[in-house]
Amino acid sequence: MMGGTFLSRHSAKLVLGIPILWIVLFMLVPYGVLLTYSFWIKKYPLFVPAFQFGNYWTLLTDPQYVQVLLRTLKIAALVSVASLALAYPFAYFLVFRLKNHTIRVFLFMGVIAPLWVSYLLRAYVWKTILGTEGILNSFLMNIGIIDEPSGIFLYNQFAMVLTLTYIFIPFMVMPIYTALEKIPGNLGEASADLGMGAFATFWKITLPLSMPGVVAGFTMTFCLSFGDFIAPFLVGGPDGQMVANVMVSQFGAALNWPLGSALAVVMLIIVLTIISLSDRFEQSGKVEL
Amino acid sequence: MKNLTLTTSVAALVLAGGAASAQELNVLTWEGYADDSFIKSFEEASGCKVNATYVGSNDDFAPKLAAGGGVYDLITPSIDTTQLMIDAGFVEPIDTSKVDAWGDIYQKFLDQDGIQEGGEYYGVPYTWGSIPFMYRNDAFDTPPTSLKALWSDDLSGKISLWDDKSALYVAARLNGNMNIYDLSDDELAAAQAKLVEQKPLVRKYWATAGELVDLYAGGEVVISNTWGGYQSALLAEQGIEVTEFIPEEGAEGWMDSWMVVKGTPNTECAYKFINMQLSELGQCGVANVNGYSVANPVAAKACMPPEQFEALHQADPDYLDSLLLWQPLGERLETYTNTWNSVKAQ
Repeated sequence: MMGGTFLSRHSAKLVLGIPILWIVLFMLVPYGVLLTYSFWIKKYPLFVPAFQFGNYWTLLTDPQYVQVLLRTLKIAALVSVASLALAYPFAYFLVFRLKNHTIRVFLFMGVIAPLWVSYLLRAYVWKTILGTEGILNSFLMNIGIIDEPSGIFLYNQFAMVLTLTYIFIPFMVMPIYTALEKIPGNLGEASADLGMGAFATFWKITLPLSMPGVVAGFTMTFCLSFGDFIAPFLVGGPDGQMVANVMVSQFGAALNWPLGSALAVVMLIIVLTIISLSDRFEQSGKVEL
Repeated sequence: MKNLTLTTSVAALVLAGGAASAQELNVLTWEGYADDSFIKSFEEASGCKVNATYVGSNDDFAPKLAAGGGVYDLITPSIDTTQLMIDAGFVEPIDTSKVDAWGDIYQKFLDQDGIQEGGEYYGVPYTWGSIPFMYRNDAFDTPPTSLKALWSDDLSGKISLWDDKSALYVAARLNGNMNIYDLSDDELAAAQAKLVEQKPLVRKYWATAGELVDLYAGGEVVISNTWGGYQSALLAEQGIEVTEFIPEEGAEGWMDSWMVVKGTPNTECAYKFINMQLSELGQCGVANVNGYSVANPVAAKACMPPEQFEALHQADPDYLDSLLLWQPLGERLETYTNTWNSVKAQ
């Protein structure tokens, strides 16, 4: 009986306490460690405690870091735009044009299903498609468009954007699909009754109401591509290095954990900024239905 | 505070329990260095069980050891990384009297600064080889002989280079700077410029042995540097004909040593293991698995067929002397790494 009263008295604390402990131990403490390291200083053979901003200064002044950061932002933006351009029409078609419920679910699952396949495998498969002796080249040669295999499909930024778009597109489709599905059908009818054409209805009703989904999808694909390091490694070329690859090298080859940590902190700040901006954007666009 | 101390000591106990217990050896090494083909009989004879963890590059040793001790007993860094292990305090001195074949090892290796400090040895030389260049036979009418081939427009998009600071060694030699482990800032800048110039011609910088094999097998590249004897053998298995060559501008050499991690409780097994690795069992074992040359020519002579002994340059001191054996870069490591990173950043 003692145990019972103990449990009932403390159950609320336990229920809240375990997740809080988890967050503190596995998120806040590591972030603190990371932040601390970023003020340390590299000194052969390893690194020594210090409090200085030299690592951040290096990131600002050595052009290689700004260069890589800008490239990473560019790739992430291209991936997000490409995903949006593909995902929006697809989700729109599923929700508003497709009448058959079974086919709709089937097509939706078709986009989501690859998430269950290993990320590495999915990225790797693109190598066999885009390679010089790959499926795409054999196909183009078979139908006579090209005479000899072309190397332009793989090991460049195009291949990275393509692979990342394929990998992260479910994160764009899901929120947009959900947002579109929530729009009541009678809004469209009302709009038609008031003499609006299909395009005006889409522009004035559907698109604004689906913006929260678009913003959520954009934020997710952007942040996920921003931190990716597998695509540059597998399908990127000599000019494909992204921020995460530089970080790997700082924690490995260069053995400069302080600089790597500073880079991680900068990356974290960028991602948090994007998330809070998108949150604000989503809030401002909210309409009561 | 008392609670905290208690928690810490419990955590420490748990961690210590997870580390190697007696009669068990945890080695952090290259693939092939603890291959079943010769480790199995060692385990039976010695009663020491061997658990191997593999590294993909010399850059993996320090981060793994810096992240916390007590996990590994033995490591095998190359001669450019051994000094760092000593300076960082990751390894302990070797009792050379316990290494039976110590006197048989090539003197050139025992003379290396990278494995000694303050009159004591910290590494037991094990294997060696070169970083030659390699080309696909069917892509060349006249075989390449110079590093210039890796900068030729004709091979644009068919060139690969190891994603490693050694790219700077290659470019520096092409620039005529043979002091590749002691380059001045100006010479490094010149090597960097040379690599940036080459970049549009490069298909991909290869990061792992398997990746380079894939690049050749998939018809992506026809010329690159390589780990002598290793990738060429894997390609031969796939029926792809490649030839290794030492360019006019020379090639680097490497040598791997066994090092004992500081504070290991398994000293006895560790020395048994090192002795096995330097014996005929280990030396021919690794030569057969990886195709590398070995550090103990006496054991090699006894267990290798003459052709293999010849092919691995075991009785050819001139060959060994012709290689620019990797050297520790010490405090210059950071500058070299940053220079290579900034090539890749562009």
